[in-house]
Amino acid sequence: MNRRLRSLVAGVLLAALPAGAHHSFAMFDFTKVVTIQGTVKEFQWTNPHVVLWVNVAGKDPQKPDVWWLEMTSPGNLTRGGWSRKVLNAGDKVEVDLNPLRNGSLGGALIKVKNETTGQTFSTDLRAMEKPGLQ
Amino acid sequence: MVRQAVVVLALGVPWSGGAQDHGTQPAEINAPPTAQDWAALAKLPDWSGNWTPFISDQNRRIQADPVPWRPEVAEQVAALVAEEHAGRPKGLFVDCLPEGMPSWMLISHNAMEFLFTPGRVTILGEMDGNRLRRIYTDGRPHPPDPDPTFHGHSIGRWEGQTLVVDTVGVLPESYLAVSEAVGIPNNGEMHVVERFHLVEKDVLRDDLEITAPRILTRIWKTTRIWFRQRARKYEIVEGVCLQGFYAERKDERGNAVFVPIPHADGNPVPQSVRSSP
Repeated sequence: MNRRLRSLVAGVLLAALPAGAHHSFAMFDFTKVVTIQGTVKEFQWTNPHVVLWVNVAGKDPQKPDVWWLEMTSPGNLTRGGWSRKVLNAGDKVEVDLNPLRNGSLGGALIKVKNETTGQTFSTDLRAMEKPGLQ
Repeated sequence: MVRQAVVVLALGVPWSGGAQDHGTQPAEINAPPTAQDWAALAKLPDWSGNWTPFISDQNRRIQADPVPWRPEVAEQVAALVAEEHAGRPKGLFVDCLPEGMPSWMLISHNAMEFLFTPGRVTILGEMDGNRLRRIYTDGRPHPPDPDPTFHGHSIGRWEGQTLVVDTVGVLPESYLAVSEAVGIPNNGEMHVVERFHLVEKDVLRDDLEITAPRILTRIWKTTRIWFRQRARKYEIVEGVCLQGFYAERKDERGNAVFVPIPHADGNPVPQSVRSSP
């Protein structure tokens, strides 16, 4: 699986800033969007931040790169339609993320498409800032 | 003295020299609530449901109601802001200690709920190991010298449909934070007055007045708002902050166990970086 890198301008993307409960998300570069394709290694449904670990094919065919993608809390994601079962080890995924500024293999997850189930989930809490949502 | 000893002995309590020191302060008892006390709750406003903070409004308020930091504190704040803007945020809460007061009200991204019982309002929230505030509405005063805690000692009273909450006794180490990366310990003597009230059917407002003489030049007045959700899928879930530091694994005997995940600055360290330093 290939890794595609895309850089986009900031403006629109800041609106999609994930909600960090206990730390700032400033170590992520919100002016860049990176898209990776890979296989779910583990979906860690924990506070204060849910983490998705993804195996992505790298230079070494025997050893994939392992990316970690951080998002907000289980409670907030649940309200966005997520659950701990929407991503499972082995699922093929395409993830849009704001990468770490330091170049490590990690980022803030913007959107994930589970190609195994066909479902897509995003982390935009601000889109839900109104009462009476069903 | 003789009379006291006779009384104590008559009650069948072994007399000792220290016994006469007891009983001078009658124990303060929380009387069992009456049917009338429970019925009185029905007259309070309806704050049931789940209340989620307006995160975008939190950000707006920081600009609209600038914090009156003392000059020497403002320098520290400027340095923290610069670090955050440079992509090197200081993790104020990555140790998973509670955000505490007033930061929970100011910066949390997580929902909360209210419980009304006779003599008390309880706020429960997600995160921080299931955070809560106990607000005594039974007319008691603050203790003269409360043990400092992250959420302090809170007493409240109803002024019509508004709950007025007065909080003292917050740990000096507890931050006055404007983001997860920018905040200063209140350093003691902090006093917070809040006025919670509905501004629309499903919008709750908290007008805060924060006095923190060690770090502020004057009372900081600001406001936070929450919106109500009633759908069950929005209900608050357990929030154990430290859980994110552990992976769910099996030990050699097949027991389900938590295994620490290496973290730096509150984030898991990517394995590919770990394996090839």
